[in-house]
Amino acid sequence: MRTGAAAGHVGYYHEAVCYDSEEHLLAVVVPFLLAGVEAGEPTLVGLGEHNAELVRRALPADSGVAFLPGGDLYARPAAAIRAYRTLLAGHVAEGAEQIRIVGELPAAVLGATWDWWARYESAINHAYDDFPLWSMCAYDTRTTAPQVLADVARTHPRTARPDGSHVPTGCYTEPASYLAERRPVRLDPVQRAAPVLELTDPTPAEARAAVRAADRGQLPADEVEDLMVAVSEIVTNALRHGDGPARIRLWSGPDRIVVTVHDRGAGPKDPYAGLLPAGNGASGGLGLWISHQSCNHVALHQDDGGFTVRLTAGNPHFPV
Amino acid sequence: MTSGSTPATAYGHVCLAYDDPAGLDAWAVGYLAAGLAAGERVALIAPGAPDELARRLDRLPGRDAALRQGALRLLSVAQMYRSGGVVDPQAQVRVYDAATEEALAAGYTGLRVVAEATTLVRTAAQRDTFARYEHLMDHYIRRRPLSVTCAYDRRELGGPAIAELACLHPETNAEVLFRLHAATGETVVALGGELDPSNDRLFAAALDRADPRGVDGRLLVDATGLRFVDHRNLLHLRDHARRHGADVVLRTSRSAVGRLVELLDLPEVRVEVGR
Repeated sequence: MRTGAAAGHVGYYHEAVCYDSEEHLLAVVVPFLLAGVEAGEPTLVGLGEHNAELVRRALPADSGVAFLPGGDLYARPAAAIRAYRTLLAGHVAEGAEQIRIVGELPAAVLGATWDWWARYESAINHAYDDFPLWSMCAYDTRTTAPQVLADVARTHPRTARPDGSHVPTGCYTEPASYLAERRPVRLDPVQRAAPVLELTDPTPAEARAAVRAADRGQLPADEVEDLMVAVSEIVTNALRHGDGPARIRLWSGPDRIVVTVHDRGAGPKDPYAGLLPAGNGASGGLGLWISHQSCNHVALHQDDGGFTVRLTAGNPHFPV
Repeated sequence: MTSGSTPATAYGHVCLAYDDPAGLDAWAVGYLAAGLAAGERVALIAPGAPDELARRLDRLPGRDAALRQGALRLLSVAQMYRSGGVVDPQAQVRVYDAATEEALAAGYTGLRVVAEATTLVRTAAQRDTFARYEHLMDHYIRRRPLSVTCAYDRRELGGPAIAELACLHPETNAEVLFRLHAATGETVVALGGELDPSNDRLFAAALDRADPRGVDGRLLVDATGLRFVDHRNLLHLRDHARRHGADVVLRTSRSAVGRLVELLDLPEVRVEVGR
């Protein structure tokens, strides 16, 4: 049986914690965690170093709360979904009736790469709904940009407050609708210069060779190889499912390689394309998912001119 | 002349796609002359009567003497491939084995052949069987002192039909992005080139025809020459592993393959990254 505010809820109970002080954060998080332990529920913390330490100190010794190792959990949204789904399935298999998690995204991903994390925050309403999960995503309102907080409100059904209340955000938008919206993509500054290479309707092999040519040794060989995997898949999708011609452009910056693939089509119909593997393998869904796993940023852009995928290898965090 | 002529693949099995018969003859002259110089018995196998075949080797130095001594043989396709329309792979390898042993017994260092096989692969059914035979021959050629250039007329067969055969040769001038061929040591077969969405169906067919089998539940594949492989082709390898109950072990120098296998969760495909 589920406990607390999520009692009686089926599936994922997704909340935001928009805090403006450490006291605010602790007032929400500590009771949430302690009640989880008391109910015998797997109770996990996936916070960054600073806030994890803050919470650890506020909890009694040997509280029973598990702290997830930081590391690369939030390196890429598709990988985070995969890792969390595996973790959640494991707890359910062991008989958990509810799993409680408080987590936060690293500050670095709230900038240039926020668009794919906004898609993540929306998609997990669906992707984690197979599990009796109650999670809180913490955002510091003092340092988080207003546009990001606006997306947070639209992707979280509720906000958890220090007074113990759980209030609807009011503007929550179902993921299928939210993800289908046209989203502006910030121009990467390297795109202001002329592309180092531009190809129309290349074969996947020609597109891969273009990536190899754009590599000036600024990236580890592994990252260049992974970018070739991604470019090969996205070009294949554009040629097979897009509305031609497929145009690929490459920019080579000091710490990254940026590739855009454009066609005149409308892009994938599946709102979760890229974040979840398309199970039936239809319409290139697996290729887009692999690309989301192989690049440090994937931005999807739809407008009247067509569909563009932008892939970044190396450092995607340009200043915004 | 080939796109993949690295030492690891240069063991004497070449697929030559040609548009110009004169070009083929010029290749044959140079190729067979090198064989004669190396003390090998050489042969031209092509459709036609012996005098027609001899005329195609007009420029071969010492042709007539070589013919008299038995160092040069001219055989019609019907003589060498007696099975008629569809080749019998095992039986045909035995024919080449006998011819190779005969050459060695007669004091030659080996046997070298140009085989114009176009007429043997005109239909899809012929190609299917002939491709299986090509791979059996590839293993034989890798082991024994036999060299073969398999020549196919592009004007008659077209690129896609030739690709079905060319991809089973370690060396070719045909436009194929990947090659599946015999390996040495504990690895059973080797993969070279690139496997991607442009050729994954061709690869599935090649894998089915080569049909490599594992030892003790492990099928070792030398993939050090494989510059790229995508998820579609890894799934073909997984399917092959499942069909035969042997894990496919890819030996590669590229770490991206391992990451893709992990991502796709393919327990039957294992990756050993070396170098």
